[in-house]
This record gives sequence, C-alpha cells and structure tokens, in this order.
Amino acid sequence: MTKILFSDKLDNCVTRWQAAGFTVIGPVTKETLSSYAAVEHASDFDLGIVLPDRSLKELFFPQTEPMLRYTIKQQAINTEDFTPPSGKRLIFGGRPCDAAGLSIDDPLFGWDYKDEYWFQRRNESVIVTIACTKADDFCLCTSLKLAPDSTNGSDILLRPLENNSGWEVEELTDRGREAFLAIAELLLEASEPTAPMAVVPEMFDLDTCVAWLQNPENFESKFWKDISMRCIGCGSCTYLCPTCHCFDIQDEGDTYSGIRRKNWDSCSFAIFTMHTSGHNPRSTQSARWRQRIMHKFNYFPGKFNVNSCSGCGRCSRQCPVDMGITETLQKISTLHS
Amino acid sequence: MKIVGRHDEAPGVKTLRLEFQNPDDHEEFKNTFRTGMFGLYGVYGEGESTFCVASPETRKEYIECTFRQSGRVTSALANADIGDLITFRGPYGNRFPTENFQGKNLLFVSGGIALPPTRSVIWSCLDQREKFGTVTIVYGARTVADLVYKHELEEWQNRDDVDLVLTVDPGGESPDWTHKIGFVPTVLEDAAPSPENCIAVICGPPIMIKFTLISLKKLGFDETNVYTTLENRMKCGVGKCGRCNVGSVYVCKEGPVFTAAEVSCMPAADL
Repeated sequence: MTKILFSDKLDNCVTRWQAAGFTVIGPVTKETLSSYAAVEHASDFDLGIVLPDRSLKELFFPQTEPMLRYTIKQQAINTEDFTPPSGKRLIFGGRPCDAAGLSIDDPLFGWDYKDEYWFQRRNESVIVTIACTKADDFCLCTSLKLAPDSTNGSDILLRPLENNSGWEVEELTDRGREAFLAIAELLLEASEPTAPMAVVPEMFDLDTCVAWLQNPENFESKFWKDISMRCIGCGSCTYLCPTCHCFDIQDEGDTYSGIRRKNWDSCSFAIFTMHTSGHNPRSTQSARWRQRIMHKFNYFPGKFNVNSCSGCGRCSRQCPVDMGITETLQKISTLHS
Repeated sequence: MKIVGRHDEAPGVKTLRLEFQNPDDHEEFKNTFRTGMFGLYGVYGEGESTFCVASPETRKEYIECTFRQSGRVTSALANADIGDLITFRGPYGNRFPTENFQGKNLLFVSGGIALPPTRSVIWSCLDQREKFGTVTIVYGARTVADLVYKHELEEWQNRDDVDLVLTVDPGGESPDWTHKIGFVPTVLEDAAPSPENCIAVICGPPIMIKFTLISLKKLGFDETNVYTTLENRMKCGVGKCGRCNVGSVYVCKEGPVFTAAEVSCMPAADL
C-alpha cells in the first residue's frame, strides 16, 4: 500500500496548497511556448508534454534580476540591496532532469561567496517531480547516469499510474512531507500498478567521453573545429540549459538613481571573455563550444564532483542549426582517446 | 571611496588615488590586502571594471588604480574628479608571496599598461629594500608616450639599488630617447639577468607573457621561480559568473597570480 494522488483531486490540492500559502507553479503552455509558471487552477497545468521548452532554472536564477538600487544626492551615495520577493512556492510537475539541474548548481552558488538570491529561493521552494513515462528523441538522461525517475533535487517524486488516473507518491524530504500534509486527506492509501518508465536509450558512454576530454592532447584536436563549424553563437543552448549559470552585471539608470542588475550571459558570445585590449582568450566559436563541453564534463565535475548536465536535451532540441551536447558527445565517444 | 588624487600617466591612461570613507571597510582592507590582489572599481549608472590594486601592500592608507580609458566604466572613472565618490569591491584573489622572495634577487619584466600590477610588487619590495638582493626592472611600451609612471621610472633610474632597463618598440622612440629600442623579450635576453637565487615577476599583454616565458627559460630560470598575473575579463570576482576561467582554473579565485609552472599546466590556446 502506498499513497496515491488521484488526478481528479489535483484541483483541490492546488487550492489547499494555495490556502497554505504556497504559490503553485507548474508546466504551462502559452501559445507555442511552454515554461514553468504560476497557475490558479490545476486545469492550467500542461502535464502532457515531455518537458517544457524553458527549464526550471529561471525560477531560481531569473533571466534578469536587480541586485541593488542606488541613489546619489549631493555627493552622498545611498544603496539598498534588493531582496528577492520571498514566499513559499510549490512546483508541481517538474521533470527529473530539471530538478537535478538545480541540485547540480547548488555547489556553484554556494562555494566561497554564498549567493543569497539562489538559496533563498531554493529554501522556499518545494519541488514535486513527475517521473517521465514518455520521452522524445532528444532526451538523454540515461546517458548522464540519471533516469526518467531520478530523485535528485526533488522533494516529492510522483510516478504515474498505469491507468493514467493519478500518481504514486514518494516523499523524499521533510520539506516535501510538510507540503503534502496540507493535502493529506486527499491522498488515498492504495496499491495501484504504476506505468512503465519512458525508455531513454543511452546515446554514448559518458566515461569514454570524459576520458577523452581529460586528455590534454585532445584540447587542440581538429575535432572541435569540425563539430562546431555550423554554430552561429546564438546562445540558445546556454539560456535553455537547466544548469548553465554564467551571468553579467550591468547598471541601468543615470547619475542620480538606478539599478544594478544580474543578467544571464553566455559562453557562446565572443564578447563574453574579450579583453579591453581586443585580445580574446576564446577567440573562435570552436574555442567557445569546447569551453562549454569541457566545463560541463571536465572542469565542473573536477571542482564539484558532478557533471554540469542533467540530460534534458534542450540544447539539441532547440538548436537552430541542429547541434548540441548529444551529437558532440556521441562523436567523442567514437574517437580514440 | 573618495578620489583624492588623479594623475595622467600616458595618453588615455590615468591613475586614481582613493581613500576609504568607511573606517571599518578600511580596516578590513588593511587586514586582507596583499600585493597582487585585484578589485572591481565602479561608477553607479555605468557599472564596474576590474583592475589590480596598483599601490603596494606597504602603503595601505589609500588604494591606487591605473587604467586605460576605453569603455563606459573607464570613461566615467576617467572623467571623475577629485572629491567624487566611486565604488570598490575587493580585494579579491590571491597574491604574490613576497615573504618567500626575501633574500632573493628580484627581476621584474613588464609591458605597457601591465606595469601597474608589477609596480605594486616593486614598491612592496622597495619599501623594505634591505630584505631583498638585487632588483632589476625591465619595462617596455609601444612608444615613449605610452610608458606609465614616468616620474617613478625616473626615481628608479636614479636609485643605485635598482637596475632599470627601459625599451620601446621599434618605431616608438622619440628623437631624444636614450634607452633601448626593441621588444621586451629580446631586450630581456640581451640584459641577461642571472637566474641564480632570482625570482622573476612578469606581467604584460598575453603575447608578451608568452614570449617572455620562453626567454626566461632560455636564460635558465626555473618555472617555479617565475610569477605572473593573468588579468582576464571578470564580472563577479567570486567564482560564479563563468568568464575568467582558463581550463579548470578560476582566475578570480585561484589567481590572478600564478607561477609559470602553473601556467604551463593550463591549456595554452585559451590563455
């Protein structure tokens, strides 16, 4: 016997969570774009999609966010730190790859200087993940040693029932248990067969790829030029990526008042690393693509012991020139290290 | 921080001297700053730029920074007047281990606008001159006008305990130029300082660093006795924003000061 949440109770659950002070967020499709957004009713959820176009990242690390406000009056500078809007949030119907993406970035935002913006939102959010029963050709979680029902980064994991009438509830953290107390009466103890997990074929052998990347001789391999020849440096892959975290800091305002903002940035852009002198350490698109791959599978795991990729496949799915991590690592896995 | 001094070094290059407004901030700076560290200097409404702290660890009453006016922030800094307030975040990064340099001969090699970080180390050592052996400074710029800290170059020139070798690139000399003409690595090889018991500190544009490292190797310097500072583009200064890394090394946290031995482990193509 396990706890079951039946779909017909979901709207009731949303109401109860809202009454308990949660902003309820979930996958929503507006016109042609799907993302995780706040909902009023369960009917607003789009739970049928493989995964939203945009990842969960933006709910924790927004595309643009004020850091401080400044005012200057008669030679006196006043600054006021921006505090992110606080409040409990419950994210319903996150995908395992998106939840894993958040836990991948925790050590980055936490080492040395602790990014309060990130951790405040992390601490105030309950992530209720729905395991995947369908995948598309771009999904690659299994190649990253994750799975359609990975629990990394989730507070609750829901497994769809075979007859599609609801979900089996697996409570993973105290934060998840607490949020589900609010809907305790709506859950039923039952024994229902769960649907088979999506079949996500392994696209490459990760260990083989990592060994090739770690070999310094391959840094200047002709492979990098060949694989990235058609990259147009648009940055879509980095913006859609659930783990890419690079940002820029810019001021908006005038001499008297304004805002200092943190904005998403991308290692795909030439200006990202360009020195004032014009010298650019990563001067070609192939050097920038190499940096992205190396960072995700060599540098980042070297520092934080986890790959900076959760296998969502958005980089390949949305790439305007049909590149992506899958193709690159697939090809690397066939090269001799 | 308040601008208390302002000096034109070369066409487009300025030095600002800054004093802390908040005694606690100043105290913290005094406790943490060591030569080689950097900071983010800013003007609200324009943004922040990263430069080294150009003043030495032996003079912590103020901060000096030297920069070339080229973009939005550096233009705002260049246009700021004495008495104006600007922001400073830092000091960040690691440092030159000057205590390990004691009892050794010192060789400084620098090019163009890269003298400021070197100058911080130079004065940190000259201010306690008795602790070090010989001091040799090789400094070059594109043209005579582009040499920075001209008044200090003159001071070093006149000191008996400093050996200064100045050079400008071919074509950059003026009619009354009496010093060397040639690129820094070549001039360095001609000067042929002995690697014996010697620490080398080099800083310059990437191309100069590349060839100076080769020259120092030729002269017999051990890679572990050669220090340089990598001044990559930075935004956050605290290991998050993702642009300053060379290979797996975050320059803002693990650098900016590295030995040549450490630099040789980095992917050369990304330097």
